[in-house]
Amino acid sequence: MTNKKRSHQAEVLIEGMAEKLNRQIVGSLVACVHCGNCTRSCHYVLTNPDDPTFAPAYKADRIRKIFKRHFDWTGRVFPWWVGAKSIFTVEELEELKDIVFGKCTNCRRCSINCPMGVDYATFNRMMRGLLVSVGIMPEGVAVVSKDQWEIGNQMGVLPEDYIDTIEWMSEEMQSELDDPTAVIPIDKMDADIVYTINPREVKYDPRTISDAGKIFHLAGENWTMPSEGWDMTNFGLFSGDDALGGAVAGRVYEKAKELRAKKIVISECGHGYRSTRCEGPNWAGMDVEIPMESSVITMLRYVREGRIKVDKTRNTKSYTFHDSCNNARSCGLFEEPRELLNLVVTDFREMYPNRSENYCCTGGGGAMSMSEYTPLRLKSAKIKADQLRETGAEVVVTSCHNCVDGLTDLIKHYKLGMEVTQLVNMESEVNKGSGFNVSIPRRSIALSSNDFK
Amino acid sequence: MPDSVKINQSTIRLIKGDLTALDVEAFVFYARPDLALGSGFGNAISMRGGSTIKEELEKIGGIKSGEAVATAAGELKAGYIIHAAGPAFHEENIEGKLLITMENALKCAEEKGIKQLAFPPMGAGFFAVPLPVCAKVMIESIKRYLSGDTGIKEVIICAADNRDYKSFAVELAAID
Repeated sequence: MTNKKRSHQAEVLIEGMAEKLNRQIVGSLVACVHCGNCTRSCHYVLTNPDDPTFAPAYKADRIRKIFKRHFDWTGRVFPWWVGAKSIFTVEELEELKDIVFGKCTNCRRCSINCPMGVDYATFNRMMRGLLVSVGIMPEGVAVVSKDQWEIGNQMGVLPEDYIDTIEWMSEEMQSELDDPTAVIPIDKMDADIVYTINPREVKYDPRTISDAGKIFHLAGENWTMPSEGWDMTNFGLFSGDDALGGAVAGRVYEKAKELRAKKIVISECGHGYRSTRCEGPNWAGMDVEIPMESSVITMLRYVREGRIKVDKTRNTKSYTFHDSCNNARSCGLFEEPRELLNLVVTDFREMYPNRSENYCCTGGGGAMSMSEYTPLRLKSAKIKADQLRETGAEVVVTSCHNCVDGLTDLIKHYKLGMEVTQLVNMESEVNKGSGFNVSIPRRSIALSSNDFK
Repeated sequence: MPDSVKINQSTIRLIKGDLTALDVEAFVFYARPDLALGSGFGNAISMRGGSTIKEELEKIGGIKSGEAVATAAGELKAGYIIHAAGPAFHEENIEGKLLITMENALKCAEEKGIKQLAFPPMGAGFFAVPLPVCAKVMIESIKRYLSGDTGIKEVIICAADNRDYKSFAVELAAID
């Protein structure tokens, strides 16, 4: 037995782990047979082939040894036999922080490629949450989490700035469509759709709001945007803080309910879609009766129903599609964006591998907010850069704001010269006016890690 | 459930709102000992209140955990901000430390002659003070303080959302 004194933070982390262990996590913690399949699926391993510390199984063992020492009888009785080892110092917690935040984007590619069903991303997220609970986290995670807890959105957009931006975009929309009825309604009661967005749209790319507004207007939709509870992103997914996850998702659900909206539509954002539609009700402990869907599905329905018309022959650039990990791997949203994209372009080039096997943009899991790991992130992005280059496409389309930033950053770093855009921008351009004037999709605004500081 | 309770000549009032936009005499900011405003409410204070608040804080330098200090509130509607550094991230003796922080924040306001003071849920949320603990300790502390000889006439608890509000409403209803 060791006489090493355990820090208070380590004590709290171990106590917290007891509360987090559920069947899914315990199953993943005990099932690994170290077959190595996960190493072939991880973009960190593929770009750092000589460093075994990037292997998901190795990273998982850093967490697994604590579990075994405290919660598995084999580790309590024969710790030396099963590699069980406790955690004591703040330095050891800091080392864990660099593994779970810096060496994994929680993309879940290893999870779906594990023959034993080990979901490393889930217990990696659990460890992130435990570290956050004792105040050990990257500075960027702290900044963003505090903004979302206290201001209500993860980019600290103040209510007056949000409303100003919506009103500004509403005026732009009226002017562009030359239609005084083309407005963005705020807090309209009994709308068929309440449209929730990513604060990045307000802060860096407000035209995505008016682009969506144009589509809703042209489709004759009875829609609104909420004055609060509008941020469908959720840093709780990245930080592992389930309480934050529940608070943020709860605000969205409660506002939609207060407005008596019939459906929540989530703008193109992978982690927002997963958090709001899939994980949020569990985190918030709420029975959410209102249906939720991605705006990709909404837009596709408009085209299928003939509510908006598109003319693909007017758009002749070459396009590829990047699947967001959260959309594709965690939520199964990968056919609809392809169907929609193929309705608005003539030259679509598939990226390989794709759909649930696609590689992360390498900016996922909150990585774009953790500037201390930027060199590592960009090195790991080579696998994505190679994938993009091989398509030969001029434009990469994605349905995720985070991926837009991750891709934009790596495209610049690897000098690929590609444009990045989202479906909402393309569809809006195709539908502009009555003449289906197709213009080149706007290049997305690059967002650097420093923007989170 | 009541949204306000009378204690002697003073009132505790529970609202849902935007702390840094409140038109009150003073509000409390859950600060760090280095008094850096940072993100969250700190970001709102910087954006809405202007640079003078930060400048005043830089002159003060820092405070110990549990202490509170007052600054002017720049261009905010409030007159003062009480910066109180409380416990965080499951550190030891959260309840005891939060009680001391509350008492010092109230005393700091008293010394400034403030009669109306708004609190956020102190330490709940980002700083990970469990919400039920936060609500219990805050209501207990405010009740005890207002039961004594004080010039503070109104203490407002400003909840950010329904989740916060409900926790405080339960504690408020439990006041005899």
